[in-house]
This record gives sequence, structure tokens and C-alpha cells, in this order.
Amino acid sequence: MPTALYQAAALTFEELGFLFPNEDLEPGQQTAAVDGVVSVDFQGPFNGSLILQVCGDILPTITANMLGEHEVPAIALQHDVLGELGNVVCGNALPLIAGREVVFRLSPPCVLSTAPALENPAAQVQIGLEEGRADVFLFVKE
Amino acid sequence: MAFNVLIVDDSAAMRSIIVKTLRMSGVPLGEVYQAANGQEGLQAVEENWVDLALVDLNMPTMGGEEMITQLRDNPETSHLPVVVISTESSDTRIATLRDKGAGFIHKPFKPEELREQIILVTGADDESFTTDGNANADSTVSGGGFDF
Repeated sequence: MPTALYQAAALTFEELGFLFPNEDLEPGQQTAAVDGVVSVDFQGPFNGSLILQVCGDILPTITANMLGEHEVPAIALQHDVLGELGNVVCGNALPLIAGREVVFRLSPPCVLSTAPALENPAAQVQIGLEEGRADVFLFVKE
Repeated sequence: MAFNVLIVDDSAAMRSIIVKTLRMSGVPLGEVYQAANGQEGLQAVEENWVDLALVDLNMPTMGGEEMITQLRDNPETSHLPVVVISTESSDTRIATLRDKGAGFIHKPFKPEELREQIILVTGADDESFTTDGNANADSTVSGGGFDF
């Protein structure tokens, strides 16, 4: 399951954000502060949510990369991008975990104002991205 | 002949990315309309001449699948070429969408994938697309019930 999360997240940041991931985090990446958090709920053979945290002030860079802009994008646009990143990571991770024959319904992504409790995830990964990182947590409801 | 394109996605950022990718794909573009959900998309189709709709699936208010169903149920829009652009990966659900005559692209996607699906659903001549987004002279666009 962590491999699936890593693969889905790495693909998303590479192809949408044009950032190349590294598995082994540098000290600066490990301690980078959280830029933003998004949660995507899903329903299917199992229900749960995926939480994506982007850290190290890389969200403006990712947003500018995705939109092909040189200026720092507005916060609202950065949050929009964060939501879409969560949506794409979740949508790509679930079939890697459960197979392509099952159907999941994803709820619209929800950008959170505060970091949620991140205890006891079913799986989690960290991905180094430039000077920051992305943390991906998968929670499954019993 | 340029396509008037409707882009339906609840993410403004993703709509911008799709517009950018459309230009990179060489699709000759006319007007580009945008909508944030299926309901707004149906309204845009009613109010404007649309040749092609690019539609996300998971949206608030009305999702893409419901929008496509309503398009197909309306004789005036039943043949509108549609390409779904989504994170959906279920073979079952994708087959359902194809049965409704929609093309499908998985996010994230490349310009050439978008171009390929647009050619498939519109029946356009591949040679009429260029890399600079301008239509070639004497190009024709047909398919989906629209003959030019």
C-alpha cells in the first residue's frame, strides 16, 4: 500500500507539477513546515480518506508550474491546485491498491485550514520535492 | 474550421491547464467556454454554439456523468462530442462512459493524448491539426452529427 501511494503521488507531482521526487529526504526537507493540507474522502469497497500535506513553501512553485506562470499565483489558486493534486493522487492510488475492476466515488477535495489528526493511518509516505516535501496519508474506515 | 470548446471542471486551475494543453495539442480553437459543474455546463451548451465538451466527472451540484446523460437525452445535443477528463480508473465506469459515446482521458494527461481523443470523438481529420493550434486550409470537421 505505501508503494501505491508513493507511485501515485510521484506520478502526479512529476506530470502535473513538473517536480521530480526523491525518496530519501534531506534534513531540510524533513523539517519543512506545512504549506497546505487537503483531504479527499472516498467510498467504495472500502471507505476512507486521503490526506495530502505539501511542505517547504513549494505550493507556489507547483501552482506556477502547473499554470505556466512566472508570477507567484494567488492563494486561492494555490488552494485550488492543492485540491486538484489531492484529487489526482487519490484517484491514481486507489486502483493501484484495490485494482481497476472496482469502482470508487471520490468526494470533492477539501482544503483544510488546520492540520488534522494524523494518527494510525493505514499507510503513509513522504516524497522529497525540491526544497520541500509532500506527505500522503491513507485512512481507511472500519 | 475551429472548434468551440466547453471545459467543465470544478477546479479553475485544471480548466486553465486544459486550455493550455488544448493549445499545445494543435486543436484549432474557436471560442472556449468554461463551467464549474454539470449544471453550468448544460446551460453553456444551451446558450452557446459548442462543438466539443471536455468534462470532469466528480463535481459538486451535478457531476459529469449526469451531464452527459442529459446531453444524450436531448435530441438537440445528443451527438455533441464529449471527452471525459478524470482521475477515474475503474474499467467498468469507463466502459459505461464510452457506451454513452464519450472519449476518455485519465489525469494527468499529455497534449497528444488529448489530441487523439478529440480526433476520435469528432471524426476530425488528423492532418487538419497543426502544432500551433491553427487549422490547415481546406480542413473539414465532421462526426458527432455536425457536418461543416
